[in-house]
Amino acid sequence: MNKNHIIGVFDDEDSLMSAVHEVKEKGFEIWEIFTPYPIHEVIEAMGKKTRFTFAAFIYGFLGAAGVLSFMYYTAVIDWPINYGGKPTNAFPSFIVVTIVITILTVTLASLFTFSLRAKIYPGKAYILPDARSTDDKFVMVFDKSKQSSGSGDLESILLNKGAVEVYEKELQPQI
Amino acid sequence: MDTKITLTKGFQYVTFAMMAIGIAVIAYSFFTDPTRAWANFLLNNYMFLSIAIGASFFIALQYISQSGWSAMFKRVPEAMMSYIPYAGILMLLLFFGMHSIYHWTHEDALATDTLIQHKAPYLNIPFFFIRMIVFFLAWVLMTRLIRNASLNEDKVGGRSFFEKSELLSKIYIFILAITFSFATFDWIMSIDVHWFSTLFSLKNFVAAFLHGTATVVLVVIILHQRGFYKEMNKSHLLDFSRYVFMLSIVWGYFAFSQFMIIWYGNIPEETEYFAHRWNSGFKVIFYVNFFINWFLPFVLLLPQVLNKNIKVVKAVVIILIFGQYLDLYEQIFPGVMHHPVFGITEVGFFIGFAGLFLFIFAKALTAVPLIPKNHPYLDESLHHHLH
Repeated sequence: MNKNHIIGVFDDEDSLMSAVHEVKEKGFEIWEIFTPYPIHEVIEAMGKKTRFTFAAFIYGFLGAAGVLSFMYYTAVIDWPINYGGKPTNAFPSFIVVTIVITILTVTLASLFTFSLRAKIYPGKAYILPDARSTDDKFVMVFDKSKQSSGSGDLESILLNKGAVEVYEKELQPQI
Repeated sequence: MDTKITLTKGFQYVTFAMMAIGIAVIAYSFFTDPTRAWANFLLNNYMFLSIAIGASFFIALQYISQSGWSAMFKRVPEAMMSYIPYAGILMLLLFFGMHSIYHWTHEDALATDTLIQHKAPYLNIPFFFIRMIVFFLAWVLMTRLIRNASLNEDKVGGRSFFEKSELLSKIYIFILAITFSFATFDWIMSIDVHWFSTLFSLKNFVAAFLHGTATVVLVVIILHQRGFYKEMNKSHLLDFSRYVFMLSIVWGYFAFSQFMIIWYGNIPEETEYFAHRWNSGFKVIFYVNFFINWFLPFVLLLPQVLNKNIKVVKAVVIILIFGQYLDLYEQIFPGVMHHPVFGITEVGFFIGFAGLFLFIFAKALTAVPLIPKNHPYLDESLHHHLH
């Protein structure tokens, strides 16, 4: 079996983060980090930026503009009906629908954007190096072939920084 | 670590000058146009009272939610709530202006108007002032207890004071919910005596909370820029701006709900309130009110580039304080004056009351160290860090 990945297991966020900063300083390349809950510092340390919030804003803006123009078209231009003497452009009563549709647009569009971007879909084969990262462990994974210096250094750094376990493993997609 | 601020003579003279200008304008306007003077009196006194109430609710919420981040700022809202007793004394002076502001106090209206007769068991002058005194006694008592627990915590230490404050805060918000609702019904809504809205008190309560918080944020930012609150960082600022952002959305929600339901229902006895506010020159205020109390904070505090920028947050909270003036102007003036008026009277009243508020607030803020000592969450607050 080709053990091509190094896996470091940590007990808590603090020791994980100090190990992340240390290995980055020493020039090791982290393949991926698995944590039980989202940690923003990890995303920053991995050098990843997200434009997701901006995308969500655009969806919300388009959703609001779209539903308002749709209601304006149906109620004023295409089929004007007199409801209790109100103007056909009953703008205040459009607002409630607009809020609800905007939320729905943002939610669904964000969900699909995330799925596309992260290439996640139902029934996809997944890679889970250490199943304990879904419980209470913080797991760092290194690709052995991409490290310039020896893996022995890496192991000692991880253990120094409080890893409870360091081992090598071949990653295989699971279904 | 002594973090006491000294109250400078210069600041005191400024507040005295503001009060002097205020007194001069107030005296002049009471001789020339007492109706307008009383409307201004009610507006300004209620405005600064609601800032104090909003600040007291802010601190009560921090205790109940056991918030760590805000622990070092708690002296600011605490000092603001020391204005409540003074507002109470001033509010009692309304006794002499009842006829100018409240239509239901007129004998001839009571004799012919069945709706006012129907409301008379609740809306009569003795009961009005009994309620007012009860409300103020409750607020003064509860805010004093919270303040004392907080000051004793500094002297003695220990967790018991925090637990006591939390219990007091829990009692206080229940008292406040009931008393402040009736207070807004009494003082503001009864100006338009034929009109009623159950959302009215909630809207005004949220307005008090929003603008009280905005004032707290403004004071904290000014103190930070003057070199106090050295530990304040971007994370604190972001929490403050999120607070204001959230509250302005809630304000917009309630203000719009009240309007939309009345507009949609289109029942004459309800729409007359807004019909009044859409005609005779008040319509601009209706739109500007939504614009500066909801739209501006919403747009300006939405992107992270802006809501972490101390200058933007400061500008927004300053605008919000004028937003509250406008909101109350829209609620009080159409019912009393029937046409928009703005001039030296309005400015003078505002300056006078602002001077009084600033003086009392600054006295209370400088009486004790700015940063509390033995608060259990103080350390967390000093090292607050968000990602």
